Parts: sequence; C-alpha cells; structure tokens
Amino acid sequence: MLSRIADSLFWLSRYMERADGLLRATSTHYILSLDNVVMGAMTWKPVLEIFTTKNEEEIRQLEHDTAASLHTLLTDVNNQNSLKVVITRARENARGAQDHVTKEVWEEINALYHLLNQPTISERQGEQDVIQMMQLFSQHSLLYTGVADVTMPRGLGWSFMNLGKFIERCFEVIVMADKHYERIGYNLHEENVIIQWKELLFSLSGYELHLKTYRGADYNHNVLHQVLFNDDFPHSVLYSLTRIEKYLKDIVAENPSPGNANLLRCFGRLYSRVQYMDPKSIDSGSLKSFLADIREDLLQFSNALGQNFFSYQ
Amino acid sequence: MSLQALLNEYNCPEGIWDEMCDAGKIRKHYDKVVTTFGTLDVPALQQKDVLAGELFMNQGITFTVYSDNKGIERIFPFDIIPRIITGKEWDVVEKGIQQRLKALNLFLKDIYSGQQILKDGIIPAALISSCPHYLREVHGIQVPNDIYVHISGIDLIRGDDGKFYILEDNLRTPSGVSYMLENREVTKRIFPDMFAANNVRVIHNYPLILYQILLQLAATQISNPTVVLLTPGMYNSAYYEHTYLARQMGISLVEGRDLVIDDHKVYMKTTNGLQQVHVIYRRIDDEYLDPLVFNPKSVLGVPGLMSAYRKGNVAIVNAIGNGVADDKAVYAYVPAMIRYYLNEEPILQNVPTYELSDPEAKEHVFKNIRKMVVKRTNQSGGYGMVMGNTISEEDWEKAKAEIEKDPRSFIAQPIVQLSTVPCFINGKFAPRHVDFRPYALCGPEGVRIVPGGLTRVALKEGSLVVNSSQGGGSKDTWVVDL
Repeated sequence: MLSRIADSLFWLSRYMERADGLLRATSTHYILSLDNVVMGAMTWKPVLEIFTTKNEEEIRQLEHDTAASLHTLLTDVNNQNSLKVVITRARENARGAQDHVTKEVWEEINALYHLLNQPTISERQGEQDVIQMMQLFSQHSLLYTGVADVTMPRGLGWSFMNLGKFIERCFEVIVMADKHYERIGYNLHEENVIIQWKELLFSLSGYELHLKTYRGADYNHNVLHQVLFNDDFPHSVLYSLTRIEKYLKDIVAENPSPGNANLLRCFGRLYSRVQYMDPKSIDSGSLKSFLADIREDLLQFSNALGQNFFSYQ
Repeated sequence: MSLQALLNEYNCPEGIWDEMCDAGKIRKHYDKVVTTFGTLDVPALQQKDVLAGELFMNQGITFTVYSDNKGIERIFPFDIIPRIITGKEWDVVEKGIQQRLKALNLFLKDIYSGQQILKDGIIPAALISSCPHYLREVHGIQVPNDIYVHISGIDLIRGDDGKFYILEDNLRTPSGVSYMLENREVTKRIFPDMFAANNVRVIHNYPLILYQILLQLAATQISNPTVVLLTPGMYNSAYYEHTYLARQMGISLVEGRDLVIDDHKVYMKTTNGLQQVHVIYRRIDDEYLDPLVFNPKSVLGVPGLMSAYRKGNVAIVNAIGNGVADDKAVYAYVPAMIRYYLNEEPILQNVPTYELSDPEAKEHVFKNIRKMVVKRTNQSGGYGMVMGNTISEEDWEKAKAEIEKDPRSFIAQPIVQLSTVPCFINGKFAPRHVDFRPYALCGPEGVRIVPGGLTRVALKEGSLVVNSSQGGGSKDTWVVDL
C-alpha cells in the first residue's frame, strides 16, 4: 500500500473518531447544562479546553455564552478543531484515498460533509433544534462507523483506519478523564455524587455500563477504573490499546521494516504500563502523573508509527 | 401535459440536422424511445431527472471549474434523453477513427525520428518547429510497439448534411470517459425497460480493455507488472475520473510525490518500502512530468522520470510529446498524413481550417469573421475561443490585436451548425447542439473503440459551445442495431 494512502486512511479515521467524540461531548454538555438546579455553575470551559485551541482569555469570554460556544465547537472555520473543519479534513483524506475506501464509505462521508455545508446550518444552531441537529450529525457519524465496518475490506487499509480510530479514542479518553479529575484536584478521596461523573460517562457512552457494573459509592475510583482499565468498555484506554495491539501486529506482519522493532518497543512500553497497572495502587498523588505519562507514551508511539509508515513527503 | 403532446410541440430548427427528427418525422432509431415517452407524463420524467441528479451528486461525480469562485465542485449537468446513433453510422465513424489514429501514430514516430514527412515537404517544417508541444527532449526515444497514442478522444460533429466531421484530435490526456460510463449506468437506473428494448451496444468493458493494453506495454520479461495511474491530485478538475479509472482497473492511483527514481527506475513509496513501477498511465501534462527536464517549478511531477523513460525502464501512456500531433494548426494536415503514410483517402473529413499565420487566409478570415470561429492552437476546454457570430465589435478588436501579435497560435474555422438533439429542459423538449467524442484505445493488437462515447451538449439555447467548463452538459450515447 502507498504510504500516502495509508496516511490518508489513518487520518480519515482519526478525524471521524474525533468528530464522534466532539459531538457526544458537546451534546452531553449541552443537555446537562440545561439542568441548572443540579449543575449550578456549569460553563463551557472544560469542553472548549479539550476541543479547541483557544487561549484562557478567549475561553473566559466564551464560556458563559452557549450559542457562541456551540458555534465555535461546531461550525466555526477559524477553530481548527470544529466539527466542520474536522469533517472537511476527513473528506479531504477520503478523497485522496478514494480508490481505497468503498463507494459506500465515500458517499456517507460526502453526505455528512454536504449536510454541514448547508448555508442554513449556522442559523439553526442558535435555535431550538440544536439538539436535533447534533443528533442528526451523530446519526451520520454512527452510520459512517457501521457502513465502514460492513463494507470495508479487511486488510492493510482497514488496519490503518483502525489504528487511527483507536489512537484518537485513546487520546480523547485520557484528556477527558484528566480534565474531569482536575476539577476535583485529583483527590480521589473527596466525597462525590454520581451526578458529577455523569458528564464524563455520558460523553463516553458509559453511564449505563457504570450503573450495571459498579456497586458502592466510591465513584471516584470506580469511574477511574471504568475509563482506564475496564476491558469491556469500548471507550476505555485499555480496550483501545488492546485493539491497537491487534492492528499493529497485522500491519507489522505484512510490512517487515527495520523501524518495526522500535515501534513495537514503544507500544509495548505503553501497553504494559496500563495492562499491568494495579488500579488500586493509583492514589491521589500519582493519578496526575500517571495520566500524563501514558499520554506522553501514546504520543511517542503515534509519532514513531508515522515515521515508520507514512514518511513519503 | 402528456409527453406525447410535448413531443408533438418539439420543433426542430430549420437547416440544421436534428438527431431525432427529419422534416417533422421521427427517425426510425428514435421510435422506441418516443413510444416509451408516450406512456409517461411530465412529472414522471421530471422525477427521473431529479433522481439522475441525486445519483451524480451523492457519488461525488463532480468536476472543478477554475473560473467559478462559488466552490470548487460542480456536477456535470446530465440530460436524461439519450442520443442515438445507428450501428451503420457508427461503423463509418469507427473505421474513420481507426484510420486516423494509424496515421497519427506513424506521424509521431516519424516526427520524433527521421522526419521524412518534413523532408518530403508534406508539412512545412516551420509549423512543427514553432509548435510549443513539439519536444526535442523525446527525439529518438523508442516507445513500446511504436505506439504513441494509446488513449485518444476524437471530437466529431455532425454537419447539416448528416455527415460526421472531425473537429479536433485529443491525443494527450483526453478526459470524460468516466462520464461516458457513468452516464450509461445512470440511464440504466432511470430507464431500465427502455434501455433493454433498444438493443444498445455495450461499453462497460472499456476499463478492462484499457488495463489489458497497459499490461502489454510493460517489458515482456516481467510476469506481473505494476501499473499505476498518475494524477495531479485531488484538486485537479478530472480527479473523479482518475479515481474512477484506477478503481475500475484495480491499479494504484499515485501522485508525483508517491514516486521516486533510483538508478533510472521508477519506484512508488509503500508502507512496505519501495516497489518498482513498470507502466504509468499519466494524467499530468508533459510540461509538469519531470521538473529536471521540463518546467522546473513543477511539484506534480517526478524528478528523473525522463531518464527512466529514455532507458525504457518505464512505459508512459500516452507517450510524451504527443501534443505536436493534436495542435490545432497541425490538424489541418492530418488528411495529408493519411494520404502520405497510408496511401488511402480519409474516411472522415476535417472541418476546413485556416492557419492565421498565412496572411491571405488571415485576411479572408478577418473579412468573414461573422461566419468564423477562431481558436487558439494550443488551448482546449473552449478557453480562448472567439465565436465570430456573437462577439461584440469591441471584443473583436481586442482579439484581433492578440492575433496580430502571434498569428501562429491561432486558426479559424467556418462555424458549423452542430446537429441538435432533444433535451428535457424546464419541463419541455428543446433542441440543443451537440458534439460527440468517442474514446479510442490503441494497443499492440490495433485500435479498439467501445461503441459509444461522450455526447456533450450546449445547454444554453442556440449556443454552439459544448465544453463543460463553459456551461455544457452531457448525454448518454447509444449505438443501436436496428
């Protein structure tokens, strides 16, 4: 497979996953923010911090303005990570690799792109059907995932797409978990109610699983276990890494190259750090550095992957 | 209103060949189509029209218009009523194009080696040496099987006498073949029964024939040659076509940055290291192919590609330097080439052409400009064209000054009233002018032309300019055996 194609498929998938995460987080936050009684002082700050590159001052100006925040997150072309920009980039990558994605996948991405580029989209954002609109986008995003799964041939291209998807997901979970634990000062012993974890869990589609799986009121530890170590939870770090391992092995087996050893070493370090971690041993003092470390390792691995397979420029 | 009533209202213009009507009567090969339309009403046809538009849009079958600032992509307008040619007419077209390509291939071989045709005074040497697409860099290079033009699109028009004339040869990187194929697929979707009833000759094997030819061009000792399609990238106006063809042939679609030359061999950069490439179907113009030899600023090409080509380590399709044969001034000499190389009379005639570098011809053209069309010899896509019957005095003065500066770059032809075909526009049938571009493939086993082609239609009333970049559309073209 051409390096450029591998690169395009990888990023196509990363951007689509990012769009999915962005939509889920934004609509969750929006819905919860309507509930003023419970979430008194809730602002858009955390979401803006995760999904935009705005500085503190800009965020301060935006955080209390729902309409402006939604615009920034969804359709602002000046925000490099807005839904519109992310989908446009996904489509560019799909176009560049058009002969390697199926017609169905291409058409689905194309449809979402055209939907986002309707001239009326900005007007609709400020009005009452904002939830409907986000739901429609989410549906398309899910449709893409399904269509890709059903139609894409398994092989190198599929493996690169999945690497992109799970690397992106892994980053997203780490960053979101970090943001939410930062709120409580990484203090795992502070008393908390489940309501306060609702946003994180809903943003990762894990609320129901949490209720079914975890008993007891130690929510701080339980949620942490779920998002990092629960291997049944498709948005956990461990689950994502397990998937990455599979696709990485497939790719390495088909592409013997001198850089593979370093790449596998890089990944192995990260994977074992999470896999063999005793969840109970993480305490308030080490949580912050643990999250920072796995994020750093993931970044290194992602760079090594790019250097090994995508260096065609 | 029923369609039958609409059809009755259809008035074919006087003095122009209409593909469907002959003096108020329906031509025999349109019978079945007209009968089918008799059973439909206007809303039903409109619905089919909308469906066709959606099919094109959702598949992303779009092209780029450079002068349009509104956005980069647009659908190629498609008219749902097919244009029909009889098998008998087609056979003449086929033979004529085969003959023409045979001569053009011999001409290219000659012009880049012994130049016998210049020595014998059939074509003036000055005409060739002043042609911007004549490339000294490829002089003496041996190409596989002596084939230079593997893929060509020959533009034909039908005059008021009902005969087909050659309007233009496209021997470099002709585009539009994907529209020919997609138009057919869409027609099958919207008129399945009508299509089946008409006994239309098949065209869908075009990509397979092309792939076979590409494979045959690799050096014979290679058992499993790597064939790639080289595209300028996704911002090119024909990018959809490039992906379509690559997909249909199952070959890699590469950009210049995916290729690298080492030891006069071409490789593509894969996740598994470098892989040698044996045949390149390129959709990049000559001057951008190799920055070391041609335009040094080109980032689309591959540095060193010419060296690999010269050594015979890679076959490039179409051959480099073909532009000399489809130059609009050289076009006038193609009938002479046919007589010179083949000792045959041309089956398909040219449209009379005046070279403006000839002062007498220029004077004649200037006097009769209202009946003439002036074209640039090295431009395509309808850019830089002057239609004498519509141009304003002021614009004509400007154009005249341009011509005086460099008369070699212009030719003139009398305006031919292109034949018309009924189009479904705003709920009515209206005659619109069309041309016809069949796609010919030339391999070691001879010239093959799939029976059909792209019918381009000037959608503006009365307009004779069919180019997609100038607001033209297209139609499915059926070759039917009665």
